[in-house]
Formats: sequence, C-alpha cells, structure tokens
Amino acid sequence: MDAGPVRRLVTAVTSLAVFVAAWKILTVLTGTPEYILPAPDVVAERGMRAIGSGILWQHLWATLIEVVPGFALGGVTAIAVGVALGKSVVIERVLSPYIVAAQAVPILALAPLLDIWFGGGLVSRVLVVALIVFFPIAIATMVGIRSADPRLREMLRSLGATPGQVTARLEIPSALPVIFGGLRVGVTLAVIGAVVSEWVSASTGLGVLINIADQGLFDTPLMFVALVALAIIGLAFYGLVVQVERRLIQPA
Amino acid sequence: MAQLQTDEGHAAGAVANGGLAVHIHDVTVSFPAPEGRLTALHDCSLDVAAGSLTVVIGPNGSGKSTLLRVIAGLLVPDAGRVTIGPAPDAEEPRAGDPRVGIAFQQPRLLPWLTVTENVELPLSLAGVPRAERVERAAAALRQVGISDAARLRPAELSGGMAQRAGLARALVSDPPVLLLDEPFSALDALTREAFDTELQRLWLSRRRTLILVTHSVSEAVRLADAVVVLTARPGSVARRVPIELPRPRGVDVAAAELDEEIRAALASVHPPELAAWTPGP
Repeated sequence: MDAGPVRRLVTAVTSLAVFVAAWKILTVLTGTPEYILPAPDVVAERGMRAIGSGILWQHLWATLIEVVPGFALGGVTAIAVGVALGKSVVIERVLSPYIVAAQAVPILALAPLLDIWFGGGLVSRVLVVALIVFFPIAIATMVGIRSADPRLREMLRSLGATPGQVTARLEIPSALPVIFGGLRVGVTLAVIGAVVSEWVSASTGLGVLINIADQGLFDTPLMFVALVALAIIGLAFYGLVVQVERRLIQPA
Repeated sequence: MAQLQTDEGHAAGAVANGGLAVHIHDVTVSFPAPEGRLTALHDCSLDVAAGSLTVVIGPNGSGKSTLLRVIAGLLVPDAGRVTIGPAPDAEEPRAGDPRVGIAFQQPRLLPWLTVTENVELPLSLAGVPRAERVERAAAALRQVGISDAARLRPAELSGGMAQRAGLARALVSDPPVLLLDEPFSALDALTREAFDTELQRLWLSRRRTLILVTHSVSEAVRLADAVVVLTARPGSVARRVPIELPRPRGVDVAAAELDEEIRAALASVHPPELAAWTPGP
C-alpha cells in the first residue's frame, strides 16, 4: 500500500530532525570551532540574518535565473537531439563523438571559454548550465527512443503512420520513463553548473556567496547557509521533475 | 457472454460485396538467418475472391503470419507478386495500405492509451475528425462486445478482451480486405466458438474479403469458404479445400468428411520429426 502524504511528511521531518540532532551532537562532543564546522543553530541564526538583510534572496535569485532557463534550454535541446540520435544511426555516428568529447572535457575548463565567447554575462552562465544538463538527457532520450517495442512499430506501420507519427505516438511515450531518468540527473547537475559558472564569472549567486564568505571573512556559517540553499534548490527541482513524471506516466 | 454484434438483420447475398480480390502469385519470402537465409514462403500462389472468407491453416513455421504480412504490404517478397483489387487496376499492397486491415496475433495495443483511444488510432493517424472517431470507435467496440471496457487501459484487460480490442482496431476503418492472425487464440474454447459464429455473422453482413489464420481445424470448417493448407517451411499451398456448407453455420456444423480431409492434408505436410503432432480441436 502506498504511504499517505501525511505519513511521508512525518518520515521526512523525522529524518531531518535526526540529521540535525546528529550534526549538533557532533559539534558539541568534538568542540569543533565555528569556522570549521558551525552548529546547526548557528547556521540557522546566520541564515535568518542573511534573509533579513536581503543578501540571501539576492544571491538565490541570481542562481535561480541561471538554473531555470539553463535547464529548460539544455533539456529541450537534449530531447530534440536525443530523438534524432535515436532515430538515425547515421546521425548518431556523426554526432556522438563530439557529444561524448564535449562531455568528457570538464565543465570547469569549458566555462572560461564560454565566458570569452559570450561575454561574462548571464548568457554564458545559462549556457554552462545547459551544457552540463545536456548529456544525460540526450543519452537517456536516445536509449529510450530505441527501446520502443518493434511489434508496436510494425503495428503503426500497418496503419500507415508517418515517421513523425511513430515518434509522437510510440517512441516518445515509450521513452518517457527513461527520459525522466535523464531529467532527474540533469536537474541536479543544473545546480552544479550554476555554481561553476558563477565561480568563473559572476558578481551574484550562491556560488559567489560561498566565495564571499570564504575569502577574508571566514564566515563559515554563511557558507553553510549558501550550501543549504543550494541543496534546497536541488531538492525542490528534483521533486518538481518527479511530480511532472507522476502526472505524465501512467502506472503500467 | 459478450457477443459480436452485427449492424442489422441480413440475408446472405442481399449485402453488397464490399471486398477486394487478393491474388498471390509465386511469392517467395526469406529472412536473414545465422547461416544463409531462412525461406519462409516458397512459390506460394493463392487466389482469394472478393468478399470471400478464406482460412489459412498449417504447421508451425509454415509462414502463415508471413503470408498475412506480405498481403498487408509489411513485407516485400523476394520474388513473385501480390495484387489487391479487380484485374485491370489491381495494385500491389504497400505498408499502411488503406485497403487492408490487419489484427496481429498479439493485440499490440499502446499501453498508455485507453481501449477507445487504441481503437481510434487508425482514424486519428488518418486525420479523421474527433466526433466521427469517437462514434466509429464506439461502434467497433460494440461489434466485438467490449463496450464496457472502453475507458480501461490495456494492462487492465484479460487476454481475450485485449485480443478483441485489437480486432476492433482492425474493424474500425472498415477495410475491404481484413487479415486476422489467430484472432481468438486467447479465448477459451466455448467463448471461441461463440465468437466464430459472431464473426461469421459480421462477415455475412458486410462481405469484406476476410483471410484468417488459425490452428483449429473445426474453426476453419465453421468459418471458411475455402480452407488453405500450407506445407511446412518453406510454406506453399498444399491443398485448397472448398467448404460449401450452407450459412449461417452453427457451432455443431456437421462436416466430418471435410474435417477428415483437412486433417489428412495437415498430416501429410508435417515434417517427419513432427509426425506425432495432432492438429488442434
């Protein structure tokens, strides 16, 4: 039987409480100084101040406007390219070496190049995010498109379906569970991409906030605030993807 | 028991013949195999009259399904020719030929669509307006007796219901040539007999060309104008047994001699290692 929403919430809250308690106990028992591992209550208090001064919102917003368009751009492109890769062996042979090579080069090394090409603005940061989410989604889409049941392909052929109709009616629907696997990976990578791009060129964003807290200030509690904010963004978007997936895919 | 329903009252011969003739001439089909090629049909020839009901029977691997695929234009023969239509303007079938409808051995329903949406599929692919699609799908579901299941998804259907949904999908565009590959194999014997009777009635009311593959000799005798016995692989026509019994035929059609003749033909075409095989009920 499926756990009800209340039960799921209780589980989540309990697990969070245990985690925070363990964290607190660790700091008290070891007596670790605040600039190395701040206690959760210290982080919470620093978080409230960061919210109060508006600094957290400012940086959070800057990261969000990289993550959301970057994920959307990368995701849409990846699905389109993945469909083409899945449908045509020729396209796959021609494109896949470049796609794999681009993925093999660390994004941290590519980000400065994009920065030069597109100027140090939002565009280059969105592109870094799009680039990092592209690979898992494109490969998942390709694999999913190919996994369509050949007997259903023949059935559609017998009904005179065009290649486009086969893609729309059969290949994409049967690829959806796999595509969503790629989207789940991609959406968490999007947050990583945003931070990387901010480290290369940005004056605001949670990645920048971590650097600000680090350099000269040794404001470790503020670093933790930024880390927690990044984790929450990742969890929220991951949850959003899972929700969309539940809506779209009928249990078989 | 759910029944196949016919559109209206009928008398054999009173209904216009809406079928098309099918001519199969010296067709050979082979598939790539680990060693060389596997020949499924060899010099297979068969003439099917417009509006007739032909039952194809034969041992496993005799190319029955392959023959249906060639008629549907899904396979292009290595040699020989298939044409559909009256002599002067008969044309070879092509994949997705609107003159041909096929129900495969497995129902092959799209799992994410409801039964109605699956049955509507041939119409929606062809761009038929929604209102008409809904109406025709409902009629097809009535014909195969699963109107109650219209809103279910394939995973919620029994094997027999899924087969009937596949049959409804083949019926919905009302093609002049209808190919059925063991359409009732997932049904129990009693339901199957009832469906044979209803299929016969449906055919009598519409007179489309119907070519049906089965393993059952008694089903063949109950339904067919002519029973075509294929040889073991590579398949070709071993015998063509005309069945001239009055219609509508009931479940208890008495035709022991015909039955015997078909069984003897089947026994004679069986590969020696399968000599012990006895044809189905």
